[in-house]
Amino acid sequence: MRHYSILEYANFRWLKYGLLLATIVSIAYLWHRPPVKPYGGTWLGYTLGTIGAILILWLLWYGVRKRRYRSNAGTVQGWLSAHVYLGTALVVVATLHAGFEVGWNIHTLAYVLMLLVVASGFYGVFLYLRVPEAMTVNLGEETLESVLLRIGDLDREMREKAMSLPDSLVVLVERSVAGTRLGGSAWRLVSGKDPRCATAAALREWQPIARRLTDEAAKLDKEVYEQMLRKNELLARARRHLRHKALLDLWLYVHVPLAIALLVALAAHVVSVFLYW
Amino acid sequence: MRILIEFRGVPGSGARAAATRRTVNADWIRVGRNAACELHLPDPRVPLAQGMIVNRDGLVYIEGESGSKDITRKTVHSVRMKPGVPIDIGPYRMRAIAAPEGYDGAIAVEQVRPLEATADIATRSTGLTLAALGIPKRGAAWALGLAVLVFALLIPAGRVFHLPWSKVAAQSAVGDRVWDPGPLILAHQPIEQKCAACHERPFRHVRDAACLECHRSAGHHVAPQLHRAALFGDSRCASCHREHKGIKPVFRDDDRFCVECHRDLRARVPEATAENVSDFAKAHPAFRVSIPDGAAIRRVREDRTPLTRKSALIYPHKPHLDPKGVRSPDEGRVKLDCCSCHHPDASGRSFEPISMARDCQRCHRLQFEPAVTTREVPHGKTADAVTVIAEFYGNLALNGTRDSFQKAFGVPGEGLLRRVGDPGDEDRRAALRLASVKATRVARDLFAVRVCKTCHTVTQVDKGETLEWRVEPVRTGNRWMPHARFDHRAHAASRCTDCHDVRESKSANDLAMPTIEDCRKCHGGSTPAAKKVTSNCLLCHGFHDPKLPWNGATVGRVAVAR
Repeated sequence: MRHYSILEYANFRWLKYGLLLATIVSIAYLWHRPPVKPYGGTWLGYTLGTIGAILILWLLWYGVRKRRYRSNAGTVQGWLSAHVYLGTALVVVATLHAGFEVGWNIHTLAYVLMLLVVASGFYGVFLYLRVPEAMTVNLGEETLESVLLRIGDLDREMREKAMSLPDSLVVLVERSVAGTRLGGSAWRLVSGKDPRCATAAALREWQPIARRLTDEAAKLDKEVYEQMLRKNELLARARRHLRHKALLDLWLYVHVPLAIALLVALAAHVVSVFLYW
Repeated sequence: MRILIEFRGVPGSGARAAATRRTVNADWIRVGRNAACELHLPDPRVPLAQGMIVNRDGLVYIEGESGSKDITRKTVHSVRMKPGVPIDIGPYRMRAIAAPEGYDGAIAVEQVRPLEATADIATRSTGLTLAALGIPKRGAAWALGLAVLVFALLIPAGRVFHLPWSKVAAQSAVGDRVWDPGPLILAHQPIEQKCAACHERPFRHVRDAACLECHRSAGHHVAPQLHRAALFGDSRCASCHREHKGIKPVFRDDDRFCVECHRDLRARVPEATAENVSDFAKAHPAFRVSIPDGAAIRRVREDRTPLTRKSALIYPHKPHLDPKGVRSPDEGRVKLDCCSCHHPDASGRSFEPISMARDCQRCHRLQFEPAVTTREVPHGKTADAVTVIAEFYGNLALNGTRDSFQKAFGVPGEGLLRRVGDPGDEDRRAALRLASVKATRVARDLFAVRVCKTCHTVTQVDKGETLEWRVEPVRTGNRWMPHARFDHRAHAASRCTDCHDVRESKSANDLAMPTIEDCRKCHGGSTPAAKKVTSNCLLCHGFHDPKLPWNGATVGRVAVAR
């Protein structure tokens, strides 16, 4: 069965609704002849402002709806599809509400926050379209747990075999086994890299030492080295997986707090406008 | 030798408690981490080749040698293994035990300390997600939301609601100026920080009274005391005049607001004198010209021709604008154009009044005595002219030489004061009579025949003893279209005759005001048209013009005129 993304949900239903909304408000804006100039204080300005405010509240409600697993008010996919397309249409509504006017004030702050929330949302959509596929390519049939288990097995085997190797190599194996980290810092999660990875360091130092070995030890060394290489490859996959998961999470650290800030800024905008009417 | 090696687990750890036994047949037993060692002790703390056990009349443990090439480990320790003498190697403890039958010796190896164990990577790895790292998404949301709440709502609200931090809100950079949607016009900037000057009460529209506090002289389109002011009931000053839209005044200047009423004004306001209008190009009545008529002003539409006025002046433009020029008393033929007489005023918008002295007298001299070309009567009051003539001839009668006396009075003689001896009463009376008769004749000639009558309507007023002359007052300059703004300077690119063609005019009573068709040659309506200046109502008319007929200032006058 072909996988349908949330963008295609219900045969692009919400794309159509979003386009319809953007078209209607654009036509209204072009048709409208404001007494002085287009801005939020004409009847069309108030109408667009009301539509925009309702849209913002509804878009924020998605955060509540997606946590209500027992809700039957539409599917979460449908909500997300609508969230994306109506959120995009909001940019048109809010821009026309402002009449392309900007300044150093709370009103433009609310507008800019809205743009940032939508932009971070676009980035989230981009990630959700790209990252899951990359995750599948990266891990295949495996899971992070199985990869970690395999690394653990390799660690045990390496240690056992390394017992018969010289101390300098045992130290490297020990360092790799005990000192290799996964995650633990935001940067390591998001970059998917660990410049001070003990396993990678061990691999770098390995060959100059191993070159001096002969006979049985050399054979054993080759086996351990191969295991170390496999472990390194597994680590790379695990880190890539953690990076993917972090990316899917990270944009929400921007999207959600900015959305809350937008809600407050919107309230300040509405209150101040009607306070000094 | 044949040795039994017994491995025992960590004491007390159930699983490993059961011992395993191995029999080794060898000349020596190597002890170390290496898997090749007969006594294999797998732990990183144990060296690769720790030592060896040989049989020298009993088991001896030798450490530090066993063929190692490492010169630093040449020192050799050897220990004879006896029961009860433990030898510790890494986490292991080794000692001899009683050898069973058939064995050369027996060694018990006991793990006394746990093997070095490193936690598995799966259990060691925590913090695999951003959430697991404790980076707070909700915290960030709360913090950001709270910051916006404080700086965008709470602090700015201080002034309008008189909260304790109202001073901060009024003066600081983070105060209520963040609510200001845009700059005020330059004239209002001095009160920019006094929000309450206009925004008197929170959540209420700015009232017109707040505007009129300063703008007291603003003319009303319809005075508030007239009941027709109800037509503007829904409108506020701010309906048209928007503030916070930049430093230049922004006001409503589209025609819709005007046309809403004026499209069918007669239906809305039956007493209106203005005709319906909806667009300058398509539906605008002919211009109304204000013509002085006695003390009153007559307003006549240009389409009701002919338009004439009573100027009381005899002045045909045509001969003055003769392309060949006009004859001048002493400069030959002089070519005149409009600017010879019509001089722009200081503003450039309009023209100075025509002045006899400046514009006419160069040709139209006011000489009264042909023999004396240097003397002219003053222009203006007839009495002054009569006086000058009387004084001139009186002086001749007193001081005239024989020659001038003869020329002036037509009789031989000389001035009274020039005669020898005291003149008698008879002589005095004769001289006075001579002068008086001459002066009266000259004045009549000047007013009624030769000079004044050229341009003026002159009547003789007989007042018994004296004869007075009355010149009809001239009415030339006037604001012909006072309800339209017109700037001549802005139209300097046009020729005068484009709008005021007087080249064929033979009477000063001709009105040479442009018609709406003249204007429409260049001016279009409120919708843009090719090669036309888009012209809305406010281009020529003022909404608040104090001269508007229904403006409070002029209501009385108009009411009377109507």
